[in-house]
Amino acid sequence: MKTPDWIVLGGTLLSIVLYGLYKGRGSSNLKGYLLADRKMRWFAVALSIMATQASAVTFTSTPGQAYVDGMRFVQFYFGLPLAMVILSITAVPIYHKLGVYTAYEYLEHRFDVKTRTLTSIIFLIQRGLAVGITIYAPSLVLSVMLGWDIRLTSTLIGGIIIVYTTSGGVKAVNWTDVQQMIIIMAGMVVAFVMTIVLLPKNVGFIDALHVAGGMGRLNAIDFSFDLHSRYNFWSGLVGGLFVALAYFGTDQSQVQRYLTGASVTQSRLGLLFNGMAKVPMQFFILLIGAMVFAFFQFERPPIFFNPVEVEKVRQSEHGGQFLETEQRYNQALDRKSAAAIEYVEARKLSDEGNIAITQSKFLVASHQAEEIRAEGIKILQANDPQADTNDTNYIFLTFVMKYLPVGLVGLLFACIFAASMSSTSGELSALAACSVVDVYRRHINKEGEEKHYLLVSRLAMACWGVYAVFFAQYASRLGSLIEAVNILGSLFYGTMLAIFLIAFYLKWIGGTATFWAAFAGEIVVLCCYFFTSIPWLWYNVVGCVVVLAVAIVLQMFLAGRHGGAVFSSKAEPERVKTKSLIDFPMRLSSVPHTLESRSL
Amino acid sequence: MEASESPPPVLGSWQRLYMFVIAELAILILLFYLFTKAFE
Repeated sequence: MKTPDWIVLGGTLLSIVLYGLYKGRGSSNLKGYLLADRKMRWFAVALSIMATQASAVTFTSTPGQAYVDGMRFVQFYFGLPLAMVILSITAVPIYHKLGVYTAYEYLEHRFDVKTRTLTSIIFLIQRGLAVGITIYAPSLVLSVMLGWDIRLTSTLIGGIIIVYTTSGGVKAVNWTDVQQMIIIMAGMVVAFVMTIVLLPKNVGFIDALHVAGGMGRLNAIDFSFDLHSRYNFWSGLVGGLFVALAYFGTDQSQVQRYLTGASVTQSRLGLLFNGMAKVPMQFFILLIGAMVFAFFQFERPPIFFNPVEVEKVRQSEHGGQFLETEQRYNQALDRKSAAAIEYVEARKLSDEGNIAITQSKFLVASHQAEEIRAEGIKILQANDPQADTNDTNYIFLTFVMKYLPVGLVGLLFACIFAASMSSTSGELSALAACSVVDVYRRHINKEGEEKHYLLVSRLAMACWGVYAVFFAQYASRLGSLIEAVNILGSLFYGTMLAIFLIAFYLKWIGGTATFWAAFAGEIVVLCCYFFTSIPWLWYNVVGCVVVLAVAIVLQMFLAGRHGGAVFSSKAEPERVKTKSLIDFPMRLSSVPHTLESRSL
Repeated sequence: MEASESPPPVLGSWQRLYMFVIAELAILILLFYLFTKAFE
């Protein structure tokens, strides 16, 4: 990076931190610190939701995903708009009326304290692990850029985020999310424009799309139903719906965003805007990856995109063999580039016969280059069996650093940092909220003063940040980062979603049945992960269905034991005990607003 | 706090707004399909 890049990057980061501190000032109680006094307008809620979801991983890994695997990943988001509608109808009014601090607080109203605590702890484990990956991604960026040790960079970045989130609270988190989302979108538009500008003179945007499409990188839709296909329309719509329902309806890092809405309308509008904007945004980011792929059909990409691994093998006894392979790879790339130009020229002339011939030649040249690249990767492995052979996360960064003009490199890195800060800060504030409200204030110290809880919240925020930095040190071998985050979530989301579905819709099922069903569901999901080849997107469905089924059977059994009809109000002592709460969703209008201040 | 049934600022009712979001998704899927077919 050159001086102007450093100025752009430093200036952007400084402005974010200062803006966050300015907006977050004056939080004197828990409601201000953890819920931004519930005064946010819909656009701030919407952009905060989007910014929290869009981590740095989104911008380092997603374009790489399109480069390697095409655009089919966009289908993963098809369930999201439907989830936004469902949550707007169900969850938003309930959470608002109760005035809860966390989604799990509602579960105590509906079931009992053990179900609330179990769900909250699942969230703390799952999100606690994910937040480490969220910090790891930008650390990776700096390591590549500066040649620094990843442990140093993750500690440095994590430290900056901890200071900024701990001092500012959720008010700062939400407002900086808005600012960061604007920076992110500006960066992405710039990157997209540059993928077109940097194409060879005789290759236009549509030509590049034909090149990428001809190589299978514009496969945005696949209607074939295949349980073993990771991303298709059906897994995206069904699995994606479950993931989105679970993430936005039960994950505190998202629920907290729309709990800050000034009203039901503001929160709903925020969610619905996200539902409308997320799919096109993700398509756009994947399209950037496909365009980078097209660009590299005419330019020489490195044989391997991770420069650290390449340098390691160059310095080793395998260096000579690797150099020879690189030379052959470059020759193959030149042949591929020439074939790609011929293919583009044939398309321009609309010469169908020649198009088929040149496309075939292009595919053969491309295949040869890929074979040589595979040889190069084998040498990397032979040199170091522990070498990270997945370079997906480095593809987009390589393009940015090597081909973007001075100034724009800084902007793109600022964009990645902004994304990291927005998601990490949201996650830390959610983790702090759960730790304090669901665990500390509920189980450890119920009678503390407001200032005490505020202090504990700040400490919790800092502690989770330190933990995340520590975890980030070990995240380097998790493959494509965005997948790692989503796989991790899928291990728990199905169970959490089922608990909330029971809470919202199956009012005759009590806390005990739900609690043990959750355990059963989690065991089944973990068995699927360790012992089957079922794609991870289906874990959400499996976990959710198992919990629902077990809870229904268990509730029937419990009702039978107590000698009552299942659907009778006398079926189970527990139901009688919690009757007023079980019926709660049907009686929203009668819930007193004083619930907000009830002792938890 | 306002009632949950307060109408949205656009389209008159929440039901219409929800339908609008779902319709946009359907249109996007159709466009993505045409995009995939056009360049495959």
